[in-house]
Amino acid sequence: MMSGAEEIRRTVVARLRDIIDPEIGINIVDLGLIYAIRVEDGDLEVQYATTTPGCPLRRFIEQQIKVAVQQLPGITRSEVLFVTSPSWQVEMVAGHVSLFRSQAR
Amino acid sequence: MRNGLSLNLLFGVLMAGAAAGLLAGLYSGLLLLGLSLPQPLDIGGAVHGPLMINGFLAALISLERAAALELRWTYAAPIGFVLSTIFLISGNLFWFGMFLMTGSLLLVIILAYLLKLHPSTYHFIMLMGVLALLAGNFGFVRGWPVSELAGWWIAFPVLTIFGERLELNRIMRPPEKAQWLFTGLVIVWLVSLSLLPVDRDAFWVISSGILILLSLWLLKYDIARRTIRTSEWPRFSALGMLTAYVWIIIAALFGMWYGLPYAGPVYDAILHIFFVGFVFSMIFAHAAIIIPALTGLTVTYSVYFYLPYLLLNGFLALRIIGDLMWIPELRAIGAYGNVLAILLFLGGILFQVVRSAGFPQKMR
Repeated sequence: MMSGAEEIRRTVVARLRDIIDPEIGINIVDLGLIYAIRVEDGDLEVQYATTTPGCPLRRFIEQQIKVAVQQLPGITRSEVLFVTSPSWQVEMVAGHVSLFRSQAR
Repeated sequence: MRNGLSLNLLFGVLMAGAAAGLLAGLYSGLLLLGLSLPQPLDIGGAVHGPLMINGFLAALISLERAAALELRWTYAAPIGFVLSTIFLISGNLFWFGMFLMTGSLLLVIILAYLLKLHPSTYHFIMLMGVLALLAGNFGFVRGWPVSELAGWWIAFPVLTIFGERLELNRIMRPPEKAQWLFTGLVIVWLVSLSLLPVDRDAFWVISSGILILLSLWLLKYDIARRTIRTSEWPRFSALGMLTAYVWIIIAALFGMWYGLPYAGPVYDAILHIFFVGFVFSMIFAHAAIIIPALTGLTVTYSVYFYLPYLLLNGFLALRIIGDLMWIPELRAIGAYGNVLAILLFLGGILFQVVRSAGFPQKMR
């Protein structure tokens, strides 16, 4: 049976999968841009990165994440943090993303 | 950090400034074609190039970087470009030059900061792009003819976009050797551009050959080759990017055949293949990224956007035919058509953004 925190975590992941990179058409979870989702005592923290620190979409992605984690049952405070370390690597893309699989070397 | 209302307001003003730079640039282009207007509205055709490069492109790109970094000092770069536009239009060339060089120098510092933050070949290439802009703008302020510095102004958007594509295309996992080859070709291209004053024809032919190789590299490794098989924005973006690479190859083939004249129809054709065919195809392709990045608002996809895409490319082809066959009327039709395509695209974007803002919905 799932704990409350695990259930919230799964809900957050499901909501974040709705945020699609507009150019590639892949959601930010499968792109490997979500580094951590921490749930503790009604607090939620989402850590995310962009493919590069100079990515112009950084602000947009942050806004979308903030909207996605609004009104979660059991969460009283949420925080969205941009992290630059470790830097995003292409290996962080989920293995099931078939669009690029045939290019893998 | 860009939290305060005043900074949001500044951001909006700078966006409006870049848009004004574009509109003034397009308008001055029409003046170059002979559009006749009463004196107060006549800003002169000579400002067309500097407005399109600095008033629009450099202002937009520096604003994008500021939006990404969210550091207060980075906003000084787009402020510099927007102020330079105002002083250029009003005819105050001293302050135009001061703010132009300030904006250019700050954009170089921003890219150097990004390179330090995240050392990578793509940041290095983007830094080379803004150094090219600095060199071109320095020449312009010093009074060099535009034909002498066109190579540097071309290098700015080309290298900025090449760097961005190289960054994103890591997802296609190009071999390390291929990435080094790309960087090496960029360096040789810049060296050949810097040697243009020694032998303009020979080094333009060499630089054109290198551009073809760079474009072929991108055609091979760009993610657009995959996303063209998807739908909506990713598909539209991919089409725009692949079209842009084709245009750059056409520009390079012209360059290999004709060299780069100092003026005249071939010069006009080559410059507009770069700046309309390549740059605006890329801007159309990146609209779904640029607009959310700058405004935080989603642009809902519509099949409508294929209309300005087709008009842009069709009218550019007419313009080039008009140039090469020396049919000024055809050239003018092509140029007016290009302005129409750009305005139709911007209008469509504005309509969709307002609609999205009024009716919140998911991105896709």
